[in-house]
Amino acid sequence: MTSSSKEGERRRRYDKLVAVFYQDMYRYAAWLCRDKAIAEDVVQEALLRAWKSLDALRDDDAAKPWLLTIVRRENARYFEKRRLETVDIDNLSASQAALLAEAPNEELDDMRAAIFELDDDYREPLVLQVLMGYSTSEIAEMMGLKQGAVLTRLHRARHKLKDSMETQ
Amino acid sequence: MNCEEYREATAANPAFEGGASHAAVCSECRAYQREMLALNAKIAKAMQLDVPELKMPQLPAIETNNVTALPARSRWRNPLLFAVAATVVLAVSISLRTSEVFQSYDTLAEEVLAHMDHEPAALRVTDKPVSDKRLARAVPAKLAIFDRGESLITYAQPCKINGKDVPHLVIQGEHGPVTILLMPEEKVAEATPIDGKNITGIILPVGDGSIAIVGDREEQLETLQKSVVNSVTWTT
Repeated sequence: MTSSSKEGERRRRYDKLVAVFYQDMYRYAAWLCRDKAIAEDVVQEALLRAWKSLDALRDDDAAKPWLLTIVRRENARYFEKRRLETVDIDNLSASQAALLAEAPNEELDDMRAAIFELDDDYREPLVLQVLMGYSTSEIAEMMGLKQGAVLTRLHRARHKLKDSMETQ
Repeated sequence: MNCEEYREATAANPAFEGGASHAAVCSECRAYQREMLALNAKIAKAMQLDVPELKMPQLPAIETNNVTALPARSRWRNPLLFAVAATVVLAVSISLRTSEVFQSYDTLAEEVLAHMDHEPAALRVTDKPVSDKRLARAVPAKLAIFDRGESLITYAQPCKINGKDVPHLVIQGEHGPVTILLMPEEKVAEATPIDGKNITGIILPVGDGSIAIVGDREEQLETLQKSVVNSVTWTT
């Protein structure tokens, strides 16, 4: 195979994976960082990194966790440099508020705000389970936790959301 | 399984199917599971954020000729030896990645632009100033004294350029964020223009160092230059 056809094949493979998983990558980034502009930056960096290391992905069936792990690392890298203050739901930046402003009704808006306010430790496994469809053992592997810890966090996260919705 | 165990498992995963024998005899736990399933549906809906249109980053060319099939895997007779070798390879790989050994630029202007590309989040339009504490961390007294004056500084980060400490600041100009890189150890002979995509700037010689100022093409950088230069005193 010539160099240019290899390059073309590589690009087609990449485009296909991005087309399938871009939405998941963005939503995961957005819920991790809770900021629309930062999520877009994180995804851009993740797309670039995925392109550079595409040859390390041997099996396209494993593309989703591979890409989400890249997003997770890029998000961590971003916040390594800039340790942001705790998010105050009543005092959001425009870019943070933009994430919440999209809800089409009040109940959804309240739920989004409640998820937004969850600690990172609770929000992330919940996103991986509910939005990304991972099992607790897969989440444990991705987050480097024991399965029991994931179960506890998920249990607490739902109770916090339940309480939060009941008090609104 | 008792009620507490059943509910903990259900709250961790509302689709939990274990404990069917308990659920069959406990109407309260069945009601609890229905409640958790309803909550979960709301969570799932709330998490479906609108996704902006995909903007593909500029992808660098990859040398595909070097990508060859891996040879058949040889077996390591001694797993411990394999572990040691893998650790060494990993450590070398990480140190090379983080040391930026392989990144070189022909000119300081190119490096300044590359650095800005690397930290796009610095260029957010905001009216929230960085704290004095953060500014002091970004501009340590051993490098320079920076008088923030009336400037709205919205980003301050200690960075490296050419392996040297460089305070990276962003102030909000008339036409958006303006990047300022204080480079006390980068001496330039004369003012050097910087030209990037939609941005323009200059590297000014200041004493034994230099200051890069980069903003939108519409930004009147000339008026900023003097105040920025007057705000800085090298202490190196």
